[in-house]
Parts: sequence; C-alpha cells; structure tokens
Amino acid sequence: MSAAAAAAPAVPRERPRLRAALQHAAFALALLAAWEIGSRLLGSALLLPPPGAVLAAMAELTASGELVVALGQSLLLLVLGLAAALVVGFVFGVLIGRSRIAYWTLSPYFSALFVIPTVALVPLVLVWFGFGMGGRVIIVLLAGLVPVLLSVAAGVRDAPGELVEVARSFGLRGELRLLIQVRLRAAVPLLMSGMRLAVGRAVVGMAVAESYLRLGGIGGLIRNYGSSFQTEYVFAAILPLTLLGIGLSALVGLVERRFQRWQT
Amino acid sequence: MRDPEPAAPKIRVDGVAKFFEKGGGGDAGQVRALDGVDLDIAPGEFLTVIGPSGCGKTTLLRIIASLTDPDAGRVLVDGKAVDSPSPERAMVFQSFGLFPWKTVLDNVRFPLRVRKAPLSEATETAMEFLGKVGLADFAHSHPHQLSGGMQQRVGLARALATDPDILLMDEPFGAIDAQTRELMQEELMRLWQGSGKTVVFVTHDLDEAVLLADRVLLLSRSPGTVRALIPVDLPRPRWDYDVRALPGFTDIRARLWSMLRDDLVFAESHGPGPATAGAR
Repeated sequence: MSAAAAAAPAVPRERPRLRAALQHAAFALALLAAWEIGSRLLGSALLLPPPGAVLAAMAELTASGELVVALGQSLLLLVLGLAAALVVGFVFGVLIGRSRIAYWTLSPYFSALFVIPTVALVPLVLVWFGFGMGGRVIIVLLAGLVPVLLSVAAGVRDAPGELVEVARSFGLRGELRLLIQVRLRAAVPLLMSGMRLAVGRAVVGMAVAESYLRLGGIGGLIRNYGSSFQTEYVFAAILPLTLLGIGLSALVGLVERRFQRWQT
Repeated sequence: MRDPEPAAPKIRVDGVAKFFEKGGGGDAGQVRALDGVDLDIAPGEFLTVIGPSGCGKTTLLRIIASLTDPDAGRVLVDGKAVDSPSPERAMVFQSFGLFPWKTVLDNVRFPLRVRKAPLSEATETAMEFLGKVGLADFAHSHPHQLSGGMQQRVGLARALATDPDILLMDEPFGAIDAQTRELMQEELMRLWQGSGKTVVFVTHDLDEAVLLADRVLLLSRSPGTVRALIPVDLPRPRWDYDVRALPGFTDIRARLWSMLRDDLVFAESHGPGPATAGAR
C-alpha cells in the first residue's frame, strides 16, 4: 500500500487541453463534411437536409422565439422531474438499502418499472395525472427514478460498516447523522454513476412525454415538424436536445470530480 | 490528574460475558466468546491484552468502548456504568478507520467537530496533534496518499485530539511493517509517558505486549477468561535502551509464551472451530 499509494497522485492525469480541443473540432468538422456530401449525394431535403438548411432552420426557430420557449419549457420539466426523482429515489433507496423487509417487498416493483419503456407509461400517466405540467413531471420522475434509487440502496447497504463504527466511537449519534455523514458520503461514487444514468433516462422521458400529443417543449417541436415532414426543422430541434444531454452529463461530471478528489 | 482514592480503578470490567449466535447450524445456538471477565485497570496504567486468536480480546475491547453490548456483566469507568461510545474512550483501529474522503486535517478534526468545537479551535487542536505525530505537513493530504504507518499516526492523532482519559487500541500496529512498527511503538510510549492516560492495547505480538505494558492480560482460549495478569516491572522510559535484551523481558516473555503455547497447541489440534466464528 505504502509506496504505490504515495506515488499515485504524482501521475499526471490531465491531458493537454488545447490538443484535446483541436481533436474534438477536427472530428466535428469531418462529421459536418460527411453530412454535407451525403445530403448532396442523396439530393433529398426530406431524407437528409444539408447542414446549411438545418442551421437556417435553427436560426429561424431562434429568431421567432419558438426554440427558446421550447427549450425553457423542456429545461423546467427536466429540472422538476429530476429533482422529484432525486427526492423519491433517496427516500426509497435508503429504505430498501437499510431494511430487509422493504427490500424484499418493494424491489420487484422498481425492477419492473426499470424495464418498462417510458413510452408505454405515457398514456397511463397522462390520463391519471392530467396533461399539464404535473403529468409530464411524473413521467420524467418515473424515467429517472430507478437508477437513483438503486444506486442509493446499493450505496447505503454496502457502506463500510467499520467507518460507521468509527463515527459512533467518536460520539456521532443518531441514524440520520450516520446516514448523511458516513453511509451516503461513502457511497458518493455509486450515487454519481446512478445520477449519470438518471439524467440520460430523464432526457428521454422528457422528450417522450412532450412529443406525446405535442405537449410543448423540444419534444413538441420534434413531433410538430416531424408530422409535417419538415426534416430540417426536426434536426434543428434535435440538436439542442443533444446539447442539453451533453451539458447535463458534464454538470454531473463536475459534481463528481468535486466529491471524488479522494479517489484515485 | 491524581485520583482522590488511589485504589479506585479507572476501568472496572465486572463479570462481562458475550455470546455469539452460531452461524448456519441448527444445533444449540450460542458460542461463548467471553465468559465472566473480571478486571480492574488502574488510572494511568498501560495494559496490553494478548491471547490465542478468537479468544475474544477484540470483543473485550469493543465492550469497553461500548461498541458492543455485553450479554452479561458491565463496564464501569470512574465507578459509573457506561453504555454508549464516547470520545473519552477513544479508539484506534487496526485498519486505521480513516474517512477516505476527508483530508488528514478533517479526519483529526472529526471528533472535535462532533463535540461542537468551533472550527478555528478544532483546527488549532488538530494541527497541534498532527505536529506531535510529525504529520503537520500532510494536513491537506488524503489518507490514500499516506503510507500505512502515517495513516495510523493520523488515527492516533485523531484519538488523542479530544484529550481522552482512556485510549483503546485494537491491534493498531498489526497492519504495519515490522520496522515501522518499532518506531510507532516508541512514538506511542513517548506520547503516553507522563500523560496519565489509561491505555488498553490489544495485540497478538508477544514482544509488543511485554515491551509496552505495565501489565499483560493473558486471555484463555475461547471462551475467553482471564488466564493471567502479569506485571512488567521494566524501567521506563524503555526507548533509551534495548529492553528486549534485559533478563526481565525474556523471563516474562518466556512465561507468557509457555502459557500461550498450550492454548495454541490445543487450537491447532482441534481446529479454530465454531468458537471463533462470531468473535471479531
């Protein structure tokens, strides 16, 4: 342990930023070029509109305010849904992780929820909870819930019992304090990977919920222009969605690094 | 520091017994880990505990720390029965027990912060003790960046930070290489000498048990009972000379070994058996 552990942090982990940025840019340019060539070869704006047309459509949607409003609606939905998934996932995750009875009785249902495609839930949930924001938030919640819940459950179940004892021996009392200061804190790496999964699934849930019955947001835009075969506008709506996903993943990564400096 | 009544023990272990459920089998349920241990430990005494593996020495220490409840008997500290852990009886763990996500400084500050000490005061105290174990320069490192010996020095600084009357040490140097261990033993004696602290030190190393102790407690094989309490009257401080070369040292070591050997031979011929299954 000693020599290897002491030497480990000296290993440089950061690759040169400029070079990485150049590589990213070069690959993106190559993709764009392939896209342009492909669309010319196909010669059909319906199948594959050229990048220029997509850019023009994006500019138009932005100028009209449509894209901005849609993005705002989607972001709000995503934030509310993910926050709800976090709260519900933590509560049930801790319950399942700490209680055998809860584990045996509840986990089959969450496993079932995990394998049901979100699309299948949408009609039911919207009928039950209405077509307003409430119903949509519940869809995003259901989409993102299980990864959070499972990672919390695994985290608090596997937390090193010895560290809990250390904390107790130095006078830390109360299950809640031990849970927050030791069990959950020790489980952060697991929690973060659960969060990553949850964010991905929540974005999908959001798009599915919105595109059902054209309920606004980015998903509504995609549905709208898709049904009238305006492919360049569909692309113009999908691109911000992917950027949203990438941005959220990066945000999770940032939080992860903040918490995981102690890991090598 | 002086007790009004010098004869009053700091720690009294009164008829302590502990049973563990036998794992798996359906036959008569319980295994005795400790069976009726009576023991008085004087204020300021350095007591080492030794015995064959599975004899319940760690269990005894955990019961004194109130991390495990005894099934019979009780533990008195300063004449009062104790039933919950307290930084007054600070533990040092074999596997160090440092929080990997906390810096060295935060680890040492932890017991102080649990006791609601203001941050600046906790920092000052923590740095003082990190200085005493020679790790002030590593305050902002994380435990995984340190060697085993350094990590246990952090564990020691953390245990000492609340200025406890009692230090409970569970094979603290067992996971540390032999040469570093000798340095750590000397360092521990320097920190303890004149501090008035009462130390209960569990070990499986006979030399270590004799080297450090005012008295050595030898537990019998499972179920653990007090087999012998042997005073070690070697002059202190013991780091100034080669204690191991003294006839007094070798005599005590030989006596302990002959007693310990019987139990070890028994354990070897009968197997560790289910008796050790529950004893940690």
